[in-house]
Amino acid sequence: MSLADPELDADLIEELYARGVTDGLPVVVPTRARVDRAVAASGRGHDELVALVPPNWGRATVEKVAVNAVMAGCRPEYLPVVLAAVEAVCDEVFDLHGVSATTNAPAPLVIVNGPLRATLDVNCGAGVFGSGWRANATIGRALRLVCVNVGGARPGEVSMSTLAHPGRYTYCIGEREEASPWESLAVEHGFAPGDSTVAVLAADAPLGVYDARSRTPEDLLATLAASLAVVSHHKMTHWGDTLLVLSPEHVTILGDAGWSKADVRRWLWGRLQRPVRELLPGRDGGEGLPEHVLRKFADPAHDSTPIPKFRSPDNIKIVVAGGTAGRFSAIVPGWTFSKGSALVFRPIRTPQSGGSA
Amino acid sequence: MHDGVFFEDHGIPTATVVSTEFVGAARAQALALGATDYRTVVVPHPIQPLTREEVRVLADKAFDEIVRRLTA
Amino acid sequence: MSEYLDPTAPVAQPRKTARRPSSLDGKVVTLLDISKAKGDHLLDRIEELLRERAKPKAIVRKKKPTFARPAPDTLRQEIVGGTDVLIEALAD
Repeated sequence: MSLADPELDADLIEELYARGVTDGLPVVVPTRARVDRAVAASGRGHDELVALVPPNWGRATVEKVAVNAVMAGCRPEYLPVVLAAVEAVCDEVFDLHGVSATTNAPAPLVIVNGPLRATLDVNCGAGVFGSGWRANATIGRALRLVCVNVGGARPGEVSMSTLAHPGRYTYCIGEREEASPWESLAVEHGFAPGDSTVAVLAADAPLGVYDARSRTPEDLLATLAASLAVVSHHKMTHWGDTLLVLSPEHVTILGDAGWSKADVRRWLWGRLQRPVRELLPGRDGGEGLPEHVLRKFADPAHDSTPIPKFRSPDNIKIVVAGGTAGRFSAIVPGWTFSKGSALVFRPIRTPQSGGSA
Repeated sequence: MHDGVFFEDHGIPTATVVSTEFVGAARAQALALGATDYRTVVVPHPIQPLTREEVRVLADKAFDEIVRRLTA
Repeated sequence: MSEYLDPTAPVAQPRKTARRPSSLDGKVVTLLDISKAKGDHLLDRIEELLRERAKPKAIVRKKKPTFARPAPDTLRQEIVGGTDVLIEALAD
C-alpha cells in the first residue's frame, strides 16, 4: 500500500478492528515496511521463535511480535523491550495461562530497569502510571496485543475476567533508580547496574496510599501496611509477590533514617500478621481461612497463632517511581496466591548489548 | 480445557464439568487447540457459594449426561 | 498480496476425541478435582452415583495442585497410565 493514502489506512484500521485483533483503540496498520524496520532494530531474525504463548500456545516469532508492536504504535527501537516482556510472561512461573483465562482481573505490569529507560524515554517520574509517554503507552499495549492475538486471550471469550482493569490497555513503568537510596529492583534480583531488564508482575490496578504527615519510617510504614492488609480481601493470607511503589518523597523518609529495603520488607511482613481467631469465615465477612488451614487448629475461634498476609518478606517487592513532589505511594497487588503467578525477569537484548546471543 | 484435550489426545474419554458461565470459554479454548468435537457437561452457575447439599443436587442432575459423554 | 501482515498465530492442527466404550462396566474411572471450591463436593457425589449405578472396576481420585494451570506432566502421565475414562470438575 502507499503510506500516503490516508483513506486506505482508515479503511484498514476499521478492518483490523472488525477482525477483533485490536484493543478497541485504532492501531497502526502493520505494513511489511513498518514490520521490517522493527525486526531490523531488534537485530534478530524474522522467524526466530521467542515463545509459545499460552493459553493457545501460539507461536510468537520475532516477526509476529513485531507485527503486534507496530500495531500498538511502538517505535522500532522498542521491539527488544517487547520481546523481553513476551519471553517473561511466557515463563512457566508467570502462569500466563491462568492470567489470560481467569475471572480475576490481572494484567501483566512491565517494570523497566537499567540504562535503556533513558535511551527510550521510558517514564519513571511524574505520572508514571499515566498517559503521555510513547514508550510506556505502546510497550504495554504491544504485550497486550500479543497475549490476545498470539495467545488467544480474547476478552469475554477465553479471557473470562469479571472486571479486568485499565492496565489491560497498557501497564508499563520505569523505576526511578536515580531517586532511590537503594539498589534497583533488577540489581536486587541479581542483575548488574548496567543491565537493562524487564520484570513482569500479574497485577491488579494500583491502589494509591496518601500519607502527607508521616516523618518517620515507623509512621509511614504503618500507613502503607494498613493498605497492604486489604490486598485481595482483608482476610486473605499467604499472598505472594506484590509491588510497593514508593514515591521519591516517601522513600527519602526511609533512606534518610538509614533503613535498607530488607529492613522495610521485614517490618511490613512482621506487621502484616493476624491471629487465627480474626480470620474465620463469617467473622467480618464470609471470606476467611480455608478449611484445610482451619483444621490445623483445635479451637480456631480462640486461637492467637499469627498468620502472615504475605508468605515471606521477599514477596513484598519495592521500587521507587513517580514525581519528586508528593507524599503518595502506590500498592500494585499481585495475582499471586499459592502455586499461582510470581514476578519474572528477563534481560533486554539489543543489537548493542549482543542481541543475537 | 488443556487437560481435557490432552487426555482425549492420549485415548482417555473425558467428561469436563463446567458451569454455564464457562461454556463459551471452554468451547473457544477447545477450538483454538483444534479439538472441534470436544463437548463439556454443563451445570448451572454459580457453584462456589453453594452448600454441600446444594452441590449434591447438581451432581444428581448432571450424572446421566456425564455417563453419556464417556460412552458411545 | 495483503496490505498488512497478520497479527495472529496459525490455528492448531485439528484433532479427534478418544473412542468411547459402550458402558463404564469394568472400567477404571478417574475423578480429577481441578482445585476450585466445591469441585470435591461434586465429585464426592459422582463417586457415590458411579458405585450405585455403574459397575466400575475401580474409582481413582486425583487432584490438580491449582486450577490456574494445566496439570503437571507427572500427574498427567499417572492418569493416562492408570485409567480408562476421566471425569474432571469443576470450572466455575
